[in-house]
Amino acid sequence: MAEFQVPIGPQHPALKEPISLRMTLDGEVIKDADLKLGYNHRGIEKLAEERNYIQNLYLTERICGICSNSHAMCYCQGVEKLMELEPARRGLFIRTLVAELERIHSHLLWLGIAGHEAGFDTFFMYTWRDREVVMDLLEIISGNRVHYSINTFGGARRDIDDLQKQKILDGMEVLRNRTNYYLNIGVTEPTFIARLSGVGKLTKEQAVSLCAVGPTLRASGVPRDVRKDDPYAVYAELPFEVCTADSCDVLGRAVVRIKELIESYKMCEYLVKNLPVGEIKVKAPRRVKENEVISRYEAPRGENMHYIKSNGTDKPERLKVRAPTLANYAATIEMLKHGFVADIPLIFAAIDPCICCAERSVTLIDSKTGEEKRMFFSQLRKWSIEYYTKKPKLTGVTWPF
Amino acid sequence: MTDENIINKIKDTLQSKVIEITNPAPRRIFVKVNRENLLETVKFLKEQFSFTHLSTITGVDKGENFEVLYHFANEFSVVTIRILTPRAEPKIPSICEIIPGAILYERELPDMFGIIVENIPDSRTLLLPDGWPQGAYPLRKDWKYERPPEIIPGEE
Repeated sequence: MAEFQVPIGPQHPALKEPISLRMTLDGEVIKDADLKLGYNHRGIEKLAEERNYIQNLYLTERICGICSNSHAMCYCQGVEKLMELEPARRGLFIRTLVAELERIHSHLLWLGIAGHEAGFDTFFMYTWRDREVVMDLLEIISGNRVHYSINTFGGARRDIDDLQKQKILDGMEVLRNRTNYYLNIGVTEPTFIARLSGVGKLTKEQAVSLCAVGPTLRASGVPRDVRKDDPYAVYAELPFEVCTADSCDVLGRAVVRIKELIESYKMCEYLVKNLPVGEIKVKAPRRVKENEVISRYEAPRGENMHYIKSNGTDKPERLKVRAPTLANYAATIEMLKHGFVADIPLIFAAIDPCICCAERSVTLIDSKTGEEKRMFFSQLRKWSIEYYTKKPKLTGVTWPF
Repeated sequence: MTDENIINKIKDTLQSKVIEITNPAPRRIFVKVNRENLLETVKFLKEQFSFTHLSTITGVDKGENFEVLYHFANEFSVVTIRILTPRAEPKIPSICEIIPGAILYERELPDMFGIIVENIPDSRTLLLPDGWPQGAYPLRKDWKYERPPEIIPGEE
């Protein structure tokens, strides 16, 4: 039987994570998947060794565009441990507030992409419109929509006043209503559920053994969340629950993210209502004595981890960054195997690498004749939607909660 | 399960194989072992305390030696296994058989430090581009980036 090799990627200037995937196909079924990274390797770990601690704070913020706060905050709390600095409590609250607002914007973005890849573009328009609410709130707090730069050693860089507080509370109310509406869509729209259900299977055992993180892991029924297991900032006193799903597929990943959105609204409201009075930051030293620290952070996509080693100067000896998407790649390959070509965009989008939202070129090579056929990612998406329109509709699937 | 329980149990079982064990902060444990005992330690942590989640593997250039840190996490704590491998003969065993999710982190080590990972299931380069010069390992301290001179075609 003829086997196809389908290379996807690697380069597109609009992507934050260019990645090369090579699929081996047998008809419609993916037999094997392979990946090549490094197309966007910017040498940040090496660069960090030549910058001082405060410069690195802004460098780490620029590792990622969507979860910019997660790297800066993870690095910041690590360095604070090295400095033996107790950050100001009000500063910690503001930092956590920004972290949760970031999670909200990231999950709303993901929901939209999931809708888009599933051929439900109305959903995409809705979620991205509502995402503007939280983007505006972030702009009100920090002055920026993407790089908030709210973290500094010893606390936060900007304070929030009563008017801002009220705007955040109003925004949460709007978003909560909208999210309940999405939940309603999820429960009552059988085509959407049928499209997501059973796609990209990852069993609990596989998820654990391949070291998956974040919503991908929690959707396979493993209740692991750094915010609960290893509380940082003020998470130890925040009211929230770890959200899981047992369906082990893309539907489960959507359920986990919607549940997390509702938990985040709760947390944001708590943070605003219980914001302590006082200074927002304390003074931090410039030099750091020799030590090492492991800092963990639950980014929207999963566990983010920084290892920082200091050597007594004002520059770190070593900064190791492990972003959550890297941890999920091994699991993604497992999800793709035995799936259909038409599911590639959806499965890939499900780990939230923001790779599918842009145009990508795909070359289909017939291994027998060597004939090449070039396809853009948008065409692949269109073709996948048509493919599923012709297939008999999956029935008897329900929203799992 | 507290840090103390974990430390005591590691000490009791592995005994003299543990060179050093420290607990610098709550939920952070560093265990130093010889590289020969790495696989045994990983297996023990996985079976005894279900440290199945490998957060990442960090390499550090310490001059004479390379330090390799394996960060394991479970619900209660983060245990870091620290091994040293000499610069002259940088070899470490692969832990992929015990922790399949380690593959991407292990593939990063040969690229960045030139550490040879023995029995690795997939030994291709992960991050460095095609045509990268042999023997240039970016995260070694003696590697410095030099920008190649800019050549504008048509100008002398």
